[in-house]
Amino acid sequence: MNHSIPSVDHRVSVWCRKLYVLTIKEFLQLFRDIILMVFIVYAFTLDIYLAGSGVSLQLNQASTVVIDNDHSAASRELIHRFRPPYFHLDKEIASGRKGIAQLDKGDEMMVLDIPPRFQEKLLNGEQTTVQMQVDTTNTVLGLLATSYGENIVGRFGLEAGLSRAGLSSDVLNTAPNIVDAHRIWFNPNQQDSWFMSVTEMLTIISLFAILLPAAAMAREKEKGTVEQLLVSPLTPFQIMFPKVLAMTLVILAGTAVSLFGVLELIFHVPVQGSLALFFAVTTLYIFTSAGIGLFIATIARNLAQVGMLTILVFAPMIFLSGAWTPPEAMPVWMRFLMGLSPLHYFTDACLGILLKGAGMSIIWDSVAGIMVVGGAAFCLGLWRFTRQFD
Amino acid sequence: MKRMMNMNRFINIRRIWAVASKEWLEIVRDRLFFALSFIVPVVLMLLFGFGLSFDVENLPFAIIDRDNSALSRDYAFQYINSRYFDFKGYAFDQRDLDPLLTDNKLRMFIVIPEHFQKQLLNGRPVTVQTHIDGTYPFRANTAKGYVSAINHSFSMSLMTGHFSKRYGLRPDNVQTILQPVKLGVRYLYNQSLNSIWSVAPKLIMAILLISPPFLTALGVVREKESGSIYNIYASTVSRLEFLIGKLSPYVLISSINAVLLFVFARFLYGAPFKGDLLFFALATVLYVICTTGIGLVVSVFAKTQVAAMIVSAIVTVVPAALYSGVIIPIPSLSEYAQVAAHLLPAMYYTQIVLGSFLKGVGLAALWPDVLILGIYAVILFLAGYLLFTKRPRA
Repeated sequence: MNHSIPSVDHRVSVWCRKLYVLTIKEFLQLFRDIILMVFIVYAFTLDIYLAGSGVSLQLNQASTVVIDNDHSAASRELIHRFRPPYFHLDKEIASGRKGIAQLDKGDEMMVLDIPPRFQEKLLNGEQTTVQMQVDTTNTVLGLLATSYGENIVGRFGLEAGLSRAGLSSDVLNTAPNIVDAHRIWFNPNQQDSWFMSVTEMLTIISLFAILLPAAAMAREKEKGTVEQLLVSPLTPFQIMFPKVLAMTLVILAGTAVSLFGVLELIFHVPVQGSLALFFAVTTLYIFTSAGIGLFIATIARNLAQVGMLTILVFAPMIFLSGAWTPPEAMPVWMRFLMGLSPLHYFTDACLGILLKGAGMSIIWDSVAGIMVVGGAAFCLGLWRFTRQFD
Repeated sequence: MKRMMNMNRFINIRRIWAVASKEWLEIVRDRLFFALSFIVPVVLMLLFGFGLSFDVENLPFAIIDRDNSALSRDYAFQYINSRYFDFKGYAFDQRDLDPLLTDNKLRMFIVIPEHFQKQLLNGRPVTVQTHIDGTYPFRANTAKGYVSAINHSFSMSLMTGHFSKRYGLRPDNVQTILQPVKLGVRYLYNQSLNSIWSVAPKLIMAILLISPPFLTALGVVREKESGSIYNIYASTVSRLEFLIGKLSPYVLISSINAVLLFVFARFLYGAPFKGDLLFFALATVLYVICTTGIGLVVSVFAKTQVAAMIVSAIVTVVPAALYSGVIIPIPSLSEYAQVAAHLLPAMYYTQIVLGSFLKGVGLAALWPDVLILGIYAVILFLAGYLLFTKRPRA
């Protein structure tokens, strides 16, 4: 019989086997919750598809009604310049009061009101004013509608004025003016779907990265199976690490599915940067976010508390990610809070890699941010978790 | 007496009361959960209210001035003085700026070409290149709008001077040639364009869509997962009594939250309330019953609390943000999304919230929305009632 101390090799292999067995256990537990699996698949495919395809933050066929008090060639000419893609002429109505009523109901977004004697004034060289009433309950679109409307009316007026003065619009080529030339970088056609689908994917990754480990841990507590783990010859790290590992692999698989299956295939998001870098950063992020989840699990005594705490952490994280409100539009104290949201760094890094083709030389500060903030959360989670075993 | 008993077989107030008070005690005794059920909505309201801003302001930008003349500096000042832009400095080489655009340090830069002044003084048009970061499409769009407005007004002043010199006209006469039609814009419902006024009421809608289903789903599935639901299966409590009793504490909590959110919107953010308070209160309770019903249906399907959380998060959070008219008005959605929007109660309640807060309309204009919410509540509860069974298959 051999009573000698087990060799280092042997200890390492036992250590690895323990990890392996526990990781398999986590996988099984996850896969057997059918509803949960269905929704993980849904979240990484259909949900991202819906977010990317359903939403446009651009002025798209704003429904417009017209009050034409002039009924002249000039007024018709102007009205017909309010056309798709920005505007959609719904109908003509007789009175202003009716237009307001339609705006009240939320059926229409804009009322265009052409004054009487519009053409006559134009021909006489008098100034005239066209009224536009815009529903600005949605500020962004209200402002866009105004800005496009001003362009249309300005252009129309300029042409009408020049032709009355007997000048062709060619004089503009020999007049001092500034010609606008835009170059929109990284998304030349301004496809909302690119931005929307990428940010939605990052949101889903974050949700699962926090919630799955937190819930897995809290469930062991609630069911009492944690007692079995405690009496087993396992270190706290060996109990915790397989959970994080299993969840990370599942989330990474989901990420791959949505990146290749939805983002590239359906929305034609041009992946500009290095995929290896993207997956490396994502893995780092999932790992460190799991630390937040574990931290939550150490505070909560049951799953219901985990749920509420997760929302409490997760919603501010999304909000402070900078995807919806950029740092420059935030009050100063909010900008400091943004520095605490790992999702903020992750969003910067991923949009950088995927859409802008940024390499490590540009996103290194974001990666450092994930490491510092996420690493701190992870250590805190691990520390509190280990303490529970004492 | 006997007939009374028969009637009581279906709905017995005392049994409902018993279930409700049991649930209430369970919630209150879990002190952390009880506290969080109020803290979470309030925190969301504070965060989103103070920080969610769609105003595009302080865009960091730089200028490359290849002309470096009096006129080009004058032109540059139009941007530098604008509150929409945040001037980061002049640069000499575009290659210095490209990486800054990639790195989010700049959102835009402008290249003023050589001979800018000479060309303009000679009466020739000049093309100015603007490079805009398009990663966030709606912000790029808004920035584009600002740029063309600045270019337009600068061009107009140049041309007024030019034409009056060339044709010997008075400057105001030139103006009527160049701008015979003015656009008078009236912003309705939100005259000051104060974003928070339009956002705060909609936040009430979004938060009341997210939090009640979460609470409810967790509450019901908890009994399933812990096994205490077998007490219910074996008891004389009917399905309907159980569901009503079980859900009423959550409706109560969410209604209290609604009051809190209203107070925040009205007094912290100063959003005007022009409608009828009683009508709004009743419609809100109806909406809360709807969203609680969503939680009920979720909980019938989910077997574990993890699943219940994920399902309710995905079913409610995404639509709350995207399809309820918070960020974009419903007509601007794609067809798919429009269908999704019409299937959710949030859209109808958005009309009610906006109508009551900003537009000052009441039941007369909003009755269809109230009716749909009512139908919605009935369908959800019917679905929950039919799907919930006291005889689960093993």
